[in-house]
Amino acid sequence: MEFILNRRPTTFNGDEQTPLLWVIRESAGLTGTKYGCGIGMCGACTVHVDGEQMRSCSVPVSSVEGRSVTTIEGLSSDTSHPVQLAWIKLDVPQCGYCQSGMIMAATALLKKYPKPSDAQIDEQMSNLCRCATYHRIREAIHAAANS
Amino acid sequence: MQQPIPEAKMTQSLSLSRRGFLKVAGAVTAGLIVPLAYAVEATTPAGLVEITDWVRIDASGKTVIGLSQCEVGQGVYTGLPQVLADELDAEWSDVSVEFVTGRDAYRMSAAYEPPQQFVGASMSMTMLFQRLRTAGAQARDALTQAGAARLGVRATQCHTSEGRVIHSATGRSVSYGEVAADAAHLRLDPNPHLKSNNQRTFIGQNMKRLDTPMKVNGSAVFGIDVQVPGMLVGAARMAPAYTGKILSVRNQAQILARPGVHAVVIGTTWPKPVPNTVIVVADSYWIAKQAVDALELEIDPGPGIHVDSKKIHEQRMAAMDDDKAIVASRIGNTRAIFDANPGKMIEARYHTPYIVHASMEPVVATVHVRDNDIEVWGPIQGQDMVRETLSRAYKMAPEKVTVHTNFLGGSFGRKYVPDFVLHAAQASKAVGRPVKVIRSREGDIQHGFYRPGVSARMRAVLGKDGYPTALHARVVGQSLYGMIKQDKMAAAGGWDETMVEAIYDLAYSVPNLTVDAIDIKQPIPVSFMRSVGSTSSVFFLESFINELADQAGIDAYRYRRKLLAHDKLALAVLDKTAVAAGWDKPLPKNRHRGFAFNLYTGRGGAFETYVAMAVEIESGKNGIRVKRVVCGVDAGTAINPGLIKANIEGGIGFALTNTFKSEITFAEGAAVQSNFHDYPLLTLAEMPHIDVVIVNSDRPPQGCGEVALAPVAPAVASAIFKASKRRLRSMPLKLDQA
Repeated sequence: MEFILNRRPTTFNGDEQTPLLWVIRESAGLTGTKYGCGIGMCGACTVHVDGEQMRSCSVPVSSVEGRSVTTIEGLSSDTSHPVQLAWIKLDVPQCGYCQSGMIMAATALLKKYPKPSDAQIDEQMSNLCRCATYHRIREAIHAAANS
Repeated sequence: MQQPIPEAKMTQSLSLSRRGFLKVAGAVTAGLIVPLAYAVEATTPAGLVEITDWVRIDASGKTVIGLSQCEVGQGVYTGLPQVLADELDAEWSDVSVEFVTGRDAYRMSAAYEPPQQFVGASMSMTMLFQRLRTAGAQARDALTQAGAARLGVRATQCHTSEGRVIHSATGRSVSYGEVAADAAHLRLDPNPHLKSNNQRTFIGQNMKRLDTPMKVNGSAVFGIDVQVPGMLVGAARMAPAYTGKILSVRNQAQILARPGVHAVVIGTTWPKPVPNTVIVVADSYWIAKQAVDALELEIDPGPGIHVDSKKIHEQRMAAMDDDKAIVASRIGNTRAIFDANPGKMIEARYHTPYIVHASMEPVVATVHVRDNDIEVWGPIQGQDMVRETLSRAYKMAPEKVTVHTNFLGGSFGRKYVPDFVLHAAQASKAVGRPVKVIRSREGDIQHGFYRPGVSARMRAVLGKDGYPTALHARVVGQSLYGMIKQDKMAAAGGWDETMVEAIYDLAYSVPNLTVDAIDIKQPIPVSFMRSVGSTSSVFFLESFINELADQAGIDAYRYRRKLLAHDKLALAVLDKTAVAAGWDKPLPKNRHRGFAFNLYTGRGGAFETYVAMAVEIESGKNGIRVKRVVCGVDAGTAINPGLIKANIEGGIGFALTNTFKSEITFAEGAAVQSNFHDYPLLTLAEMPHIDVVIVNSDRPPQGCGEVALAPVAPAVASAIFKASKRRLRSMPLKLDQA
């Protein structure tokens, strides 16, 4: 099956029921997207599919046939996306493991709500962070929205 | 480094379609297979010369500072190099960091452990501060000598700044890079002159975290991301009960016949090598995971099958009034005061559950067991623990085991336990290739090394002034040291300091004090988890202090002021926290406050960090929400206030998960919970506003990674009492009971 991965046309010839996450990590070798729970609860595996956020651990790769998938590595070539810059400015990450997924969720949020309210952030940002960097994530989303 | 994998060895592959490839001009080099990126431990790149165990510099001035401590999110990747770079007078933009291992210079004696390289007990900054300053000063002195020689002047006529040796009188200078090769040959002064406080350049500054950029673009290599040439991937399944053993794999032949499956390996756990694990080794994780889920196993659950949470609770309650408790501390005569005040004794009982670390990255490791040596890659918290464990298991000298450290996707103590490394080693040994074994989330939660749940009976008598004249604290439950540090426990007389932390060495002035404990053995694996026993014991102590203050009709902050009147550092933290919280300012009707204090003593008395906390909750139609937490902290000299702030913020968030959500229960000898649907974490929407007040005392740096957790639950419980008049004495706090 064919799909677009970070703007590159890509063909996958393995088991089409393989979760998109493991195709991204193991077959494409793009390890910025993380495994956290495997049941779509934590969001560490969040990527964009046709611009919408998707928890890649819980969808078979066949579901993205002909569609465009963007991972953290495809967000910008030089860490210059406004959300990445806001994350750097506020030193958001601690362990950092969830942050790829957080940033992909935040960029999807900002596409939907360019100037999100706290309530919209609360509602849309359901990814989990065990280090509890949440308050800085909130600040960084506001900072990116205002940049 | 990139290296293509031959197509023949892959059962599945990802490729660029030919048509698409033609459209993306120049985007890839050739071929249909997207190469895997190997994240092999960096060896010293050409040109770097070693000045000390900790410092390597190349001709361009690139300065690589060695990091012995793993980065779990606590910020050592920035904070420790910052200390060294300060003495070195390095140019900060030239500094990069690499994990180092295998030398005595990287070992520390802390937390009763024999000298070893590890992270634990919030010790890194306290233990390494002087060592890294010394290393920085030694390197600076060597570079100064080499630079002075190059400039044709005496070293005493030179000073250093921003990576250069400067002849002070003329301003002529050479860069560290230009003279690094010369400096590498010089003998290091064992007692170099260290800077005075007012000469410091980086210490005390909010240096930005050096690992942030790579953590926001996906390039940071965590343990789970490791890929080495020829590597296979394993998935594990374990006997559910903690005393369980795998007797046989009934469908081994069918599993081995699956495409991409290489081996079915019986693995053992730690510390006892009980065969309780089956690992399927395959070309990819997904193939391995599907195969391991399809295993048909014959399992002997062992005697632990009878363990369940109801029984554990009943055992604790039955033991509570047993006078065979082992005394940990005794001051004065508590019983005499109780006997002399019939009917006046105040008693309350508290409970905490078993909880699990649940780091976002599950336990995972990559190991290559070869004939004569072993190589390990992973999110390793105890490098020498891993080295010793594998050295014993495979009968090789410890020097034959090399442990490469990658970023840890959280740990909170879990990744010090080497069980998951053993699994990867056992899988590698079986197939003769490097194997990465990834524990599933379910395996991570159900086969954790838990913080034990315990119960307490707190008793006190108050004097006429409302302050306790006698306090008796008894804690019962499964002892952590009773499982993993029996020597230490026996040496103390049979009690475990982690059960009674901050109580046995009570900071408060109470004239008659008894603290005792009862260990109730359970076959449940337990180990260290962020803040260890204090997340239980300080909940008991501080909840009870708040109850006594309420009984006496005295404000919770002022009650503690009186009990800590002898300790100026404590008073400063209490006062600054109260001021920042606006403690005396009236609140709207639906808002309520709670207070708590914690003197966090580092293991073995290594440090003392003072914490005071004021929380503010809001009660409304949708129940109770924590809106604001103010935390004052005196962790001595603040090396990087921004890092301390992050540790406090994160610690509070972590503790709010403990406070409201975390509970592992057991049935038929196994954990009931398995993933984030039934072991939930705090969410962004639930995170309160946090104000951190750093009280910068001139003491040396003290620990800060764990100190903010324990006061959260008792402060919140007290605020809930103000809102609802209900005492919540069991964690997690159930708001429907408030």
